[in-house]
Amino acid sequence: MKVCRRSFLSLIIGGAAGVALSPLPLKLTDDSSIWTQMWPWTPVPEDGEVSHVDSICTLCPGGCGITVRKVATMSGDRAIKIEGMKGHPVNDGGICVLGLSGLQLLYSPTRVKTPLKRAGARGEGRWEEISWDEAIAEVVKKLEGLREKGKSHTVACISGTDSGTTAHLLGRFLTVYGSPNFIRIPSIQDSYELTMRLMQGVQASAGFDVENADFVLSFGSGLIEGWGSPVRMIKANSTWKDRGKVVQIEPRLSNTAAKSDKWIAINPGTETVLALSIAHVIIQKSLYSADFVNNYSSGFKEFKQIVLDEFSPDDVSEITGVSASTIESLAKSFAGASKPLAVCGRGQGETPGSLNEFMAVHALNALVGNINKTGGVWAVPDPDYIKWPEVEMDRTAANGMRKARIDGAGSKRYPDVRYLLDRLPDAINSGKEYPVEALFVAGANPVYTIPDSNAVKEAFNRVPFVVSFSSYMDETAANADLILPNHVFLERYEDVPAPVGLQKPIIGLSKPVVKPQFNTKHVGDAILLMAKSFGGMIADAFPWDSYEACLKETLGNKWDSLINDGFWFDSNFRPADWKSAFNTPSGKFEFVNKGLAELVKIEGDEQSYPLILIPYDSMRLASGFIGNPPFAIKTVEDTVLKGNDIVVEVNPRSARGFREGDHGILSTPKGSVKVRVHHFDGIMPGLVALPRGLGHTAYDEYLAGKGVNFNELIGPVEDPVSGLNAAWGIRAKLTRA
Amino acid sequence: MDSALIPEGVKRCSFGKFIFWLVIFGAVLLWGIVAMLLCWFKGLNQTNMNDAYGFALWIWADLAVIAVGGGAFFTGLLRYIFGKDELKNIINFAVLIGFICYSSALLILAIDIGQPLRGWFIFWHANVHSMLTEVAFCLSCYFAVLTIEYIPLILENRQIDRVPFFHNLSHNMHGVMAIFAATGAFLSFFHQGSLGGVAGVLFGRPFAFREGVFIWPWTFFLFTWSAAACGPCFTILITWITEKITKKKLVRKNVIMLLAKIAGWMLATYTIAKIIDTWYWATVTAPAAGHNFMDFYSNNPLYGIWILVLEIVICGVIPSIILITKTGRRYSFLLVGAVFLGALGACVNRWVMVLQVMAVPVLTFESWFMYFPSWQEIATTILPVAYGIMLIMISYRYLPIFPQEREIEEEKHASIFV
Amino acid sequence: MKEQHKHTKAKKYGMVIDLDKCTGCGACMAACMAENNVSFKKDESDKLLSITWMRVYKLTNGKKFPEADICYLPRPCMHCEGDHGHAPCVSVCPATATDYSHETGIVSQIYTRCFGCRYCMAACPYHARYFNWWDPVWPDGMEKYLSPNVSPRMRGVVEKCSFCFHRYQLAMDKAYIEGRRELEEDEYQTSCTQACPADAIIFGDLNNPGHAVTQIAKPDHKHGGRPMNPNAFRLLERLGTNPKVYYLSSRRWVRRAGDNYIKDERG
Repeated sequence: MKVCRRSFLSLIIGGAAGVALSPLPLKLTDDSSIWTQMWPWTPVPEDGEVSHVDSICTLCPGGCGITVRKVATMSGDRAIKIEGMKGHPVNDGGICVLGLSGLQLLYSPTRVKTPLKRAGARGEGRWEEISWDEAIAEVVKKLEGLREKGKSHTVACISGTDSGTTAHLLGRFLTVYGSPNFIRIPSIQDSYELTMRLMQGVQASAGFDVENADFVLSFGSGLIEGWGSPVRMIKANSTWKDRGKVVQIEPRLSNTAAKSDKWIAINPGTETVLALSIAHVIIQKSLYSADFVNNYSSGFKEFKQIVLDEFSPDDVSEITGVSASTIESLAKSFAGASKPLAVCGRGQGETPGSLNEFMAVHALNALVGNINKTGGVWAVPDPDYIKWPEVEMDRTAANGMRKARIDGAGSKRYPDVRYLLDRLPDAINSGKEYPVEALFVAGANPVYTIPDSNAVKEAFNRVPFVVSFSSYMDETAANADLILPNHVFLERYEDVPAPVGLQKPIIGLSKPVVKPQFNTKHVGDAILLMAKSFGGMIADAFPWDSYEACLKETLGNKWDSLINDGFWFDSNFRPADWKSAFNTPSGKFEFVNKGLAELVKIEGDEQSYPLILIPYDSMRLASGFIGNPPFAIKTVEDTVLKGNDIVVEVNPRSARGFREGDHGILSTPKGSVKVRVHHFDGIMPGLVALPRGLGHTAYDEYLAGKGVNFNELIGPVEDPVSGLNAAWGIRAKLTRA
Repeated sequence: MDSALIPEGVKRCSFGKFIFWLVIFGAVLLWGIVAMLLCWFKGLNQTNMNDAYGFALWIWADLAVIAVGGGAFFTGLLRYIFGKDELKNIINFAVLIGFICYSSALLILAIDIGQPLRGWFIFWHANVHSMLTEVAFCLSCYFAVLTIEYIPLILENRQIDRVPFFHNLSHNMHGVMAIFAATGAFLSFFHQGSLGGVAGVLFGRPFAFREGVFIWPWTFFLFTWSAAACGPCFTILITWITEKITKKKLVRKNVIMLLAKIAGWMLATYTIAKIIDTWYWATVTAPAAGHNFMDFYSNNPLYGIWILVLEIVICGVIPSIILITKTGRRYSFLLVGAVFLGALGACVNRWVMVLQVMAVPVLTFESWFMYFPSWQEIATTILPVAYGIMLIMISYRYLPIFPQEREIEEEKHASIFV
Repeated sequence: MKEQHKHTKAKKYGMVIDLDKCTGCGACMAACMAENNVSFKKDESDKLLSITWMRVYKLTNGKKFPEADICYLPRPCMHCEGDHGHAPCVSVCPATATDYSHETGIVSQIYTRCFGCRYCMAACPYHARYFNWWDPVWPDGMEKYLSPNVSPRMRGVVEKCSFCFHRYQLAMDKAYIEGRRELEEDEYQTSCTQACPADAIIFGDLNNPGHAVTQIAKPDHKHGGRPMNPNAFRLLERLGTNPKVYYLSSRRWVRRAGDNYIKDERG
């Protein structure tokens, strides 16, 4: 048959018409739409039987109870949601942004999946995967070498906490090995402990009975911005709405200030003076608790003298920027309240602060007699359930332990503090003390969280051997030589004693919710392995087979209730009464008067740096050792972070030509960074505020490179009395980009 | 080369020149197609649209081409229903412009929706309460009508016309064209209206919301009215442009004058209606929702109240005055200026009623955001323009779009010989 | 549907958010994201491209230092009742992909039916609706935490707060198995309500006089649910959208920020 053009065309057209009329187009249309409804690249979460595990969140020292929902699927258990644990004494069902985002940390691609040994230069990011045996052997070899040379004291360990079995195992290991250099990450806990020691003569942490207080006088504490145990504080704040008053003293309208009943904008750094002036009014008008002051305190006379002589409201109103009448009415309302409570420690309380300020504020509590009383400040003794036999040290260890601490804590100059991590970078860099030959970091990210990032990095570079126990590739891990990755909190057992700021002793138990996702090991187990590898007295100090066995034995009869309820709570706990509460030489509460008037001077001169830079904290941004997960970053406003630019707050009056959203360079004596400007009427003119918790260089693309780390712009300022870091800000200038 | 395809008795430029320009516009078209494919395969993240500008550049273009494409239905209505016979000389071109506008509109809609493969859900799962459903149905039906109106034009091509079947088909289709024109006018009335309704029913958006009659807000009628006024303006404008490019007279002046006069009166009445509507909205409707009239205009960082002045005064009052006066129509530059402004007026109106509606903040603690389209959006918006020009080029070259062209040509020749 | 109507009383689920208690901590936002498999991108600082079913706005009183004041306002979907279920968004959806349930008062969104025309977003004055401009992508391994109760959305569709409707379904399933037709107040709570550390959010049935939401907001059902509590207000009350989310504030400027007022108007 001859195919002509005409018949060919007819065939094509006829065929097309036929296909068009057939069900095929309809079917294809339908199929394609069904395909769009289940695109293979859009995940379909696998279903399974649902169960719940109660545990404790350890992402911050808050100690909240959590309930984790999980599904049992063909491919193993998946944790799918973290919720606040109903009925938990700390948070009763409430939970914060970071806690809610915990699963993003568990399943994060930034986790260290197996022990890693540095392959390239420090911080270069080239790693060799090694086995746990190799990793432990590596550490032990290094440590044995140092011990043989009598340099056991040159090993230091930075830990996020000093309570709980893991921290005790670390400390114990250091002791039997022969180093005095166990250092806890600094916070206001240091200052409060010191205040307790100096004024009350006790080794205790400060607990605040916020649930019962009815007038809270806060000297810049971010009561609802992460100060203390965050969820508990927010809950307390809600109860104050019904039956209490809050006065916030702060130069910036923080969320706490905005939620308070009265916000008093104070010139930054003059809080001590204001506290003493309030004391002035209270004493002058005899509004103080006569019973407490007369019968249970000592040094009141001298204190009264100083306060009456130098701190009248008229005298201080100019320096503080608070009017005399405000100070007077404030003092009257504070002293007149039935359960007043004064607290301090700026923001989330990550900088220890000025000891004078803490003591001045604590003196206010003493004046109104709310020490160890309902609604007041309680001295909470350190938990004592860890009762292990005293370690027996060999000669090398004993020699090492006799050496002075590298950070100077406990020395003649700083006799009462236990840890001074902020002094460590300088101690290493200046070489005045002995060099640090090996550094262990657990539950902490000092390269990110310690002020003066450049100095910290330099110090790290001077330490020849850095071991990180981090679960994530954080800044410290990235600058380490060896990473021995810990399980994350949802994969491990951990006792969590004494949530920060709580007035009653609670022990929580973190439990494994899912199996370890990677080839990680509990820090406790890693220490046990190291100790066993050493043998001798070091091994003898650790008679447990595993961390879990150690924990179970340590907790003894509390174990069962911890496993069942998730926490152990001594609801009958009452603080010591005034007769027996004070262990000072006088046996009474001491109004300590050493240099009370001295204010902390911040770095930088006013001529070159006309502005003052202060940090601010937010519940949406964790600024501690945990990097913010994507959910947290997503909640951050565009007046805090815009693209990768950090946004600083400036009062329109001191914006000096910078319009909303303009780029600028923010410089301090420590460094310069690119910022964008946000006009905020809630900040005192002359100040610049920068959010903390941003500016990570490690982690993944959801966090790294976003914003600026405040610690790059500020250095520590040593408190003359305690040696702790008391820097609350730094002089700064804003110039055109 | 292609002379056998060119209608008899008219002159066209050389084939080479024709192809040259076709390639130029083809390249622009291709650019648009690349952008379109990017949007389809990678999604709408290719655009700079966002949750405040969910309706953006091309949706505005979409509504604008539908508005100015309204010349087809309105001219058809005048010609077939009201018996304005002179308009048969421009109806073909009006239909062509309408066809281009509506096919472009449908294409843009197919790019604009987030799930193009599910676009047919609008018919399948239709929600009869939605103005957009009404739009979709009327738009597709009217596009079908325009296609039916356009087909006989194609069939009039010299070569196709030779085939007896096509010749007869064409003849018969012409016979029933009045019915289609009537249907088209009816459909067009509704979908122009429902496009107006799209904005007017949004009672959560005080900037757009209007009262009305029965289920239709005032914008329903205003949109139809403005399309009827501005559509013919656009038809005249494009005819004038085509004449300038081809350097010849294609439609007699009396035809243009008639259409211009009608457009003028439509525009004038529309402008009055629009002013009344704006007045009522500004003094009654918006204040009832707590809005000062200037709330809608003062925050905008770029043009503020001037967009309203542009829409009503410059693109409404002024061209109306020109078009309804004999003197105004007589001067070519005034006439062309007026039809340009008239067409622009509809475009500005669509911008205001579509883009602004989403961008104007309603919550007191939100603010205006500005937006600048991405190249993909610009290319996609230009795509139909290039396509339109190409279709006009091809249609003009091979089809007897302008029935008067041959007469005018012959007269010109005759006058030379006289 | 009709069958169920006979057995169960119609519910009108709603929310009361106490702005005096809200600290702006953002837990509700994160709780929502975690519960509802909300996706995230590398950069979420452009809030016009950031999917936040629950978004916390920061309001300012516009005054100068030190009179300046701020207030946070969490904004879920308002689940507008409109006029007899004519929510602004529901009536405009051309494909019936969003619906008002007269059984629960919840405005649903069917992701697999939505074809992404975004008309509903234009209709919603609260910016409660979000478009998936991108394909949702979870970093490698992170898809493990996705909840099987809520399907992740695909690119090109609109999504919004559902008042955690899946929780209602699960609670109803449980109740049916136990032979009950009605839920207790605490059996169905949204994820944000549950998480809020300030206890600022309460959730319940506005038709049930025993529920806290009804007792606090005191909705006037004769007038579209307008609150009779003088400290309570709804966003954009005068538009007639009749939202089912009520706010409480003791501060006048905050209550006033909830709606638009013409010049010199008192309110």
